[in-house]
Amino acid sequence: MTATSQSGLSGSSASPSPTVELVNVSRWYGNVVAVNDVSFSLRPGITGLLGPNGAGKSTILHMTAGLLRPSKGTVRIAGRPAWRNHEMYRDVGFVPEKETVYAFLTGYQFVLTSAKLFSLSDPAEAARRAIRAVDMEAAQDRRLGGYSKGMKQRIKLAAAIVHDPQILLLDEPLNGTDPSQRLQMMDLLRRMAAEGHTIVFSSHILDEVERLAENVLVIVAGRLAASGDFRAIRRLMTDRPHTFTVRSSDNRRLAVALVADESVSGVELNDEHLTVRTSQFADFIRAAPRIAKTEGIRLQELVPTDESLESVFSYLVKR
Amino acid sequence: MNLTVFMLTLQQFAGRRRSLLMFGLALIPVIVALVYRLGDHLDQHDWTANILLDGIVVTSILPLVCLILGTSALGSEVEDGTAVYILAKPVRRREIVGAKFAAAALVAAVFVLPATVVSGLIALQGVSEEGIVMGFAIATLLGVFAYTAVFIVLSVATSRALLVGLGYVFIWEGLVTELFTGSRYLSIRQYCLGIADLISTVSEGDFEADLGGPEGLILVAMAAAVALLLAVRRLEAFEFTDTD
Repeated sequence: MTATSQSGLSGSSASPSPTVELVNVSRWYGNVVAVNDVSFSLRPGITGLLGPNGAGKSTILHMTAGLLRPSKGTVRIAGRPAWRNHEMYRDVGFVPEKETVYAFLTGYQFVLTSAKLFSLSDPAEAARRAIRAVDMEAAQDRRLGGYSKGMKQRIKLAAAIVHDPQILLLDEPLNGTDPSQRLQMMDLLRRMAAEGHTIVFSSHILDEVERLAENVLVIVAGRLAASGDFRAIRRLMTDRPHTFTVRSSDNRRLAVALVADESVSGVELNDEHLTVRTSQFADFIRAAPRIAKTEGIRLQELVPTDESLESVFSYLVKR
Repeated sequence: MNLTVFMLTLQQFAGRRRSLLMFGLALIPVIVALVYRLGDHLDQHDWTANILLDGIVVTSILPLVCLILGTSALGSEVEDGTAVYILAKPVRRREIVGAKFAAAALVAAVFVLPATVVSGLIALQGVSEEGIVMGFAIATLLGVFAYTAVFIVLSVATSRALLVGLGYVFIWEGLVTELFTGSRYLSIRQYCLGIADLISTVSEGDFEADLGGPEGLILVAMAAAVALLLAVRRLEAFEFTDTD
């Protein structure tokens, strides 16, 4: 399966070479397969790596960041191999998921250290600029050990963008941020994407990906389950078969009425509730209250029973 | 060597607990020498060379200080995940290893060298020094380089570097090389003793190493160089992850 960012299909003669390219990449630890034959290529824009915890998102990001050797396949960054290529980091910024930072450094010292390691001509100015970009000027002279999780996320981002990298890889960057920090970080990433940067971030939260990414790679059990425009994937997720638990003042009569509706594919009458199957999520949640009202039945509960992200993902894999 | 990584490592070593531990270790030979001076202090050359500087400094204090600093120079960052902030940078791995080695060796030398010189001078007070203090000072300085390099390799080769290092110090260096003279060619302690013996002018009856001085010099340099080379190679192939 191949994914491309919003700028067009991979291999199009008009589009530039992909900045991030994974070809048949697998990674295993002993007998455990963490990533299984994943291929995609990305161009400038924001791509969300979506999947449940343990799906292999971090492993993919670490391989893309050149920190982990693929067991099979190749990872290329701007046309060059990512593994054992320290020069690649001139074009790449990486924000790890782990919260640990050098607790004894201040925020400014941390970003300045990063700027110096990138051999920037004016590291102090670059550090100040990056700190300003993540809105951390007020806390820049405090030690990192005293930072909240959200502040650490922002200062880690500042350290990763201090050299204005073409490619930015972020592992669960919005974890621990409060709503205003989240909006501020999202704005910054959108601005960078608009300027032509390639941004890849991982998340297990559908809403985060929906709000930020133009392009989505859905990873489930180490495999690329779906890829492409978020709206298309969202549609796939919405139109899959759903199951609802329904309680009402007269379950038996409601079951008869519901089964006649075209949005319902099956109804099961249990002791105290109904289990209703539908493949038209939106139509059903509109139809059910209407039918109940028409029949004079009081609807007490209407709850989807399989809305965990894992069940959504497993549907995409089986599809 | 990368100066930024070097300074960062020095800041890491500045933690109060670690500094106190280093200071405590460095103080041991000085206290032992002072206690010795309070007694009859007979056979000063023999006691200073064999008991104080070989038995306590070269066999225990030197490797322990280097073990603590060498394994934490890079190992603690690998363990807590902060290593990613230096590994995901356009810095050659040999520059990282060089900076870590230089910082760890510098701090180790700051603690071990004064401990060697001060304790040796206290113990030999009132008699001719016979090059013992100078010999052991140079030997421990070179020993710092070799031990630190070896422990840096351990820290990137295994997550149990401290445990493996302790086994190496006390079982291999402290026991095996003492029991089997053939193992002297594979012992940093024996290299150090050979160098100390080469420089000191004390009689063979008072102090004699199992290994020749020139051999000790060559082997200690080789040990440090090979260990650093292995550390660079290991770090170049080092896989870093905090998988989800």
